[in-house]
Amino acid sequence: MSEFDAIVVGGGPAGSSAAMRLASAGHNVLLVEKADPPGSKNVSGGVLWGNDLEAVIPDWQKTAPVERYVKAKGVGFLTKDSNIGLEFRSSLFDKNRAGHMVLRAKLDQWLVKKAKDMGAMVASGITVDRVAFDKGKAIGVEQDGDLITSDCVILAEGANPRVAIDSGLREPLNDKDVAIGVKEVIKLSEKTVNERFNLRDKEGFAGEYVLGFLPDQVEAGGFLYTNKETISAGVVISMKHLRENDRTYSFDIIEQFLEHPAIAPLVDGGSVEEYSAHMVQEGGIERVPKLFGNGYMIAGDAAGFSFSNGLVLQGMNYAIASGIAAADTLIEAKKGNGVSEESLAGYRKRLLDSYVLKDLYNFRGIDEVTWGKLPHRAIPNALEHIMKGLFIEQGVPKKHLYQLMTEALGESGIRTSDAVLEGYRMLRRM
Amino acid sequence: MKLEDRLALLNYKIDRTYAHITVKPDICETCPDHFCTFSCPAKCYTLIDGKLNFKYEDCVECGTCVVACAHGSVSWTNSKGAHGVKYKYG
Amino acid sequence: MIELALHLVVLIKVVPDGKEVFVDPVTFTLNRSMATNIINPADENALEAALQIKDQTDAKVTVMTMAPPFAEPFLMECMSRGADEAVLISDRAVAGSDTYPTSLTVAAAIKKMGDVDIVFAGEKTSDSSTGHVGPGVAEFIGAELASYSRKVTYENGYVTAERELENGIEEVRIPTPAVVTILTDSNDPRRATLRKKIDAMKRGIITWSLADINIPADWVGLRSSPTVVKKMLPFPRKDRKGEKIEKEKIPELIDNLVKSGVIRVEAE
Repeated sequence: MSEFDAIVVGGGPAGSSAAMRLASAGHNVLLVEKADPPGSKNVSGGVLWGNDLEAVIPDWQKTAPVERYVKAKGVGFLTKDSNIGLEFRSSLFDKNRAGHMVLRAKLDQWLVKKAKDMGAMVASGITVDRVAFDKGKAIGVEQDGDLITSDCVILAEGANPRVAIDSGLREPLNDKDVAIGVKEVIKLSEKTVNERFNLRDKEGFAGEYVLGFLPDQVEAGGFLYTNKETISAGVVISMKHLRENDRTYSFDIIEQFLEHPAIAPLVDGGSVEEYSAHMVQEGGIERVPKLFGNGYMIAGDAAGFSFSNGLVLQGMNYAIASGIAAADTLIEAKKGNGVSEESLAGYRKRLLDSYVLKDLYNFRGIDEVTWGKLPHRAIPNALEHIMKGLFIEQGVPKKHLYQLMTEALGESGIRTSDAVLEGYRMLRRM
Repeated sequence: MKLEDRLALLNYKIDRTYAHITVKPDICETCPDHFCTFSCPAKCYTLIDGKLNFKYEDCVECGTCVVACAHGSVSWTNSKGAHGVKYKYG
Repeated sequence: MIELALHLVVLIKVVPDGKEVFVDPVTFTLNRSMATNIINPADENALEAALQIKDQTDAKVTVMTMAPPFAEPFLMECMSRGADEAVLISDRAVAGSDTYPTSLTVAAAIKKMGDVDIVFAGEKTSDSSTGHVGPGVAEFIGAELASYSRKVTYENGYVTAERELENGIEEVRIPTPAVVTILTDSNDPRRATLRKKIDAMKRGIITWSLADINIPADWVGLRSSPTVVKKMLPFPRKDRKGEKIEKEKIPELIDNLVKSGVIRVEAE
């Protein structure tokens, strides 16, 4: 007889959602989080997409500590001098709130408290050492020499899954799995944020950028999200390309982004309140580990569940959806013949039926087109060439758009045939 | 803003009894790339007179270094007892 | 309560994390809006000092605080490190109490326990730095006091404490019941374990109101607190000279530091 029906390792969105679902179904669940207060070691860019939380907290959009909702979504290509961007600003977002800006120290603490209110036992400030196994079955967790038993362990420990790795349930991470996320929270005032981003009340702006101006091989994306009275701004740096370069400092790239002529005015005069860094899961479906075994399941970032196609960057929604799927699988297993490798196989099936694994399968290989010379150098340069030709009066006869595009391809530093092929692949995969 | 000033904004509860990251100096000595010094966002790895210097106190616990080190020098464990970095925004 | 040879009580206070509190440059008041709560750092050392005695001797450790119910998880944390029980003195009437009624109330709770041998407290709290409550409790329960201690041992009814003074260490030996206040950073507090945390949450904590310890409500609270904080001031600004010293001029720098009395050269 185990002490708990489930032990959930990690008090982020995945772990808390799993714990909430299990506790509200009457299960005896222990949620263990290494930070104290919960949330104080968690970082993300800052937009929680989707409405997955509704399944565990029906009124979350009204009660959760969210900063703003996405009213405008921007995508921009940055060259040394320019930002060539596209913005989708729509009142459609007012009715259907697709995304919310969040700050994780606040949000995650709130989610953990919700789990506690629903009946989960919460142990914060405790670091689990590894999953305990007996005859191939996970029987609980080891912590400081003690064994705490449970019918099932749900690992939801985030982007740096030490417990899963140290328990042999996941391969150590490599360059293909992760990118380096570096972020600053910059304080302005609510009024200034509204004015600079053309927003009112709870409206927010979420921008993603390709940093086409970086030196040599270095490739990174930037993001800028408006909170209530702060801005979350940061970069996601390709580990592989930074390694190939081996002379650019990760912490300099965020400064270069913030000093870019199109970005600097947006954060001008703000005071940096916090600097943070976190790994971003980037591996895609090929790097998703075995998701379950006899007595355990892996959810959220720890399972590599995140999605980036260069236009959006999502992780928390996958975390919540997978945490709930893990909990539902366990609830069903306990109703049936109990926890076994077979009964937990339902977890994978649930994920395959949901957008979590569907997205990862449908967008497999996306990393090959989101990173690379075409999006990070050729497209920004070509777009700048076209815009210059269209809008900067040089006292010479105007050219047709087609002519500018042909020239731009030449300017882009990539062979026309390659560009066409790459562009086709990119559109297919995106 | 210098990195040192940005790191100074952070609240750490320093663990005086346990270092959650350790490096093997003999491996670092012959390392051809020292990619850790470029990848670590908290500048915990620096070269002083060509020798690798590591300090865990500024670590923001992102885990980049253990992926970055291709030579098996870095051992990474989770911080314990709620020690280490404590974000207020996150 | 289980009868054991020695009963140790540790007094703790939940305070805003000092690293997250700053003086508002305009109003000169403390801005605690971004601060999370922690156990007062010196109290963590006090708990550790008590637990070290428990490691050596058959003892029961009770951790106690006077606070609103938000302090409960912090008492749980102390039990998760090895304290046997936790008492929360919680009563609306104590709101606004300064160190005088606080000491009085805590002393009454200790008297109610009846069998307390040693009371441990942090040397001071990080949010008010008075250092009153430990000595105040000693006075009210009529116990010996060893303040500013860094190492504490117990043997045969006596407490030996190393007290850190301005220019040396004093070792004192006092009989129990005794109150010992512990210096910040004088030891390395042990970590909580998951096993102990689960046990602590299952056991829960003991909550006492003023009625439980026979303290009339009009003995406590703001009106029974003699302390008046008149105003807060920031540190006067001291501008540095900003002199730059070339590498070759380091001997000159040392001479200047010696002349101005900042450093002293020991004769060989």
